[in-house]
Amino acid sequence: MEHSPVTTNPLIIMMINMTVVFIVLISLIYLIKLIHFLDPTKKPAKPQVTDEEEPLVAVKSEPAPAPPPVIEEGIKPEVIASISAAITAYGFAGQVKAVRIVNHEGTAWRASAKFNTLQRK
Amino acid sequence: MEALNAFSVSLQAVWNDSGFSAFTMGNGIMILVGLLLLYMAFVKEFEPLLLGPIAFGCILANFPNTGFFGEEMNVMKAINYGITYEIFPPLIFLGIGAMTDFSPLLARPSTLLLGAAAQVGVFVALGGAMLVGFDVHEAAAIGIIGGADGPTSIYLSTKLAPHLLGAIAVAAYSYMSLVPLIQPPIMKLMTSQAEREIVMTELREVTKFERVVFPIVSTIFISLLLPPIAALLGCLMLGNLFRESGVTDRLSDTAQNALINIVTIFLGTGTGMTMSAESFLRTDTLLIIGLGLVAFMGGTAGGLLFGKIMCKMTGGAINPLIGSAGVSAVPMAARVSQLVGMKSKPGNYLLMHAMGPNVAGVIGTAVAAGTMLAMLK
Repeated sequence: MEHSPVTTNPLIIMMINMTVVFIVLISLIYLIKLIHFLDPTKKPAKPQVTDEEEPLVAVKSEPAPAPPPVIEEGIKPEVIASISAAITAYGFAGQVKAVRIVNHEGTAWRASAKFNTLQRK
Repeated sequence: MEALNAFSVSLQAVWNDSGFSAFTMGNGIMILVGLLLLYMAFVKEFEPLLLGPIAFGCILANFPNTGFFGEEMNVMKAINYGITYEIFPPLIFLGIGAMTDFSPLLARPSTLLLGAAAQVGVFVALGGAMLVGFDVHEAAAIGIIGGADGPTSIYLSTKLAPHLLGAIAVAAYSYMSLVPLIQPPIMKLMTSQAEREIVMTELREVTKFERVVFPIVSTIFISLLLPPIAALLGCLMLGNLFRESGVTDRLSDTAQNALINIVTIFLGTGTGMTMSAESFLRTDTLLIIGLGLVAFMGGTAGGLLFGKIMCKMTGGAINPLIGSAGVSAVPMAARVSQLVGMKSKPGNYLLMHAMGPNVAGVIGTAVAAGTMLAMLK
């Protein structure tokens, strides 16, 4: 429904509009925080080590057997074997400790930024 | 003799029906304007995807006797309906939503404030437009150029000042294409070298749950608060939902490729068709282009100023350069933040950080448009 403008004073229009824009976007900030708070899939925050915890005491013991490598899901055994062989071929006889896929959120952005920069050079 | 007479009458009829008989100096000037815009689009590559169809539409609009806007339906009239009835801008937003990653915004929601602060340019231009004699509706439509958001500019001017649509659209898209030229001097002027060198910390990981829930919740919230922009915001968020849901890849692909390309052709051509000599060749057009620049510079300065405030408040954790991305112009403005940051300190990647305020700018401009519609319509 059309109606005549409440005011035609540009300063008042500016003040009202900026206030509304800030209120709406600040509300969105809290909505985003609420979504993050309620997110059932988020990873639990790492517990922080406090000073009150019992101090660790060095204990002499037999060297423990090397733990099995931590392999991320989705990596085929053949790939692990290839990586281990390549590392050994380069003279590092130690056992592989962990294999993970480097493909987290930030990397794509970083790659995009790098690509962007290279394109402009 | 009879044959000669018939021949003469026929020739006269052909001449009377031709465009030459009604061709005016104004039409000639506007065709030259269209050719200049074509040159800018295709040779200088200033927003060629949009400026190209706008320029060609401008040339078409200035051929007399075409009957494009007569009684009978034709393709140009149908395209014009898409603008008159605000069909195309929301569809463009559907594609933008499908192309845009909201993760940087969700990871650092405080950057929404930069998107809000950059809207100051909208209202500076609004005030300026009223001072030079535009009425409040026209001034609001002109001011929104400062949001650097083409579809929203077209959406608002169609509703508030349809007679200024051509000039506003050309100003909006021209300045959007000139972002890499307009923004860097202001960014350098308003920030110190030390501020430009600030390296921001990596953003936290955003879960799929957050990426899916945000478009739904924000649509419900904003549409209830500002119903006039429910179509714009709803389409933006629906497109984003297609992208993030993980089960609508085909829809996402269509929205961000085929659909947005088709609608861009229609939106650009339709906007160009509003640039007839009688509606464009006025002193108002020059004023609008001047005010658009003021709006753009004001928005950039507003975002940077708030970026500096956030930098101080966070103890130097925020690089103020990302504030200039608060004007929409996705992703051009974020790229400019990245480039200026890289020039100040090689290896300082600001792109993902600047995408937060950039996306916030799109939402902020839509909210500003909705507020003005609620107040003025």
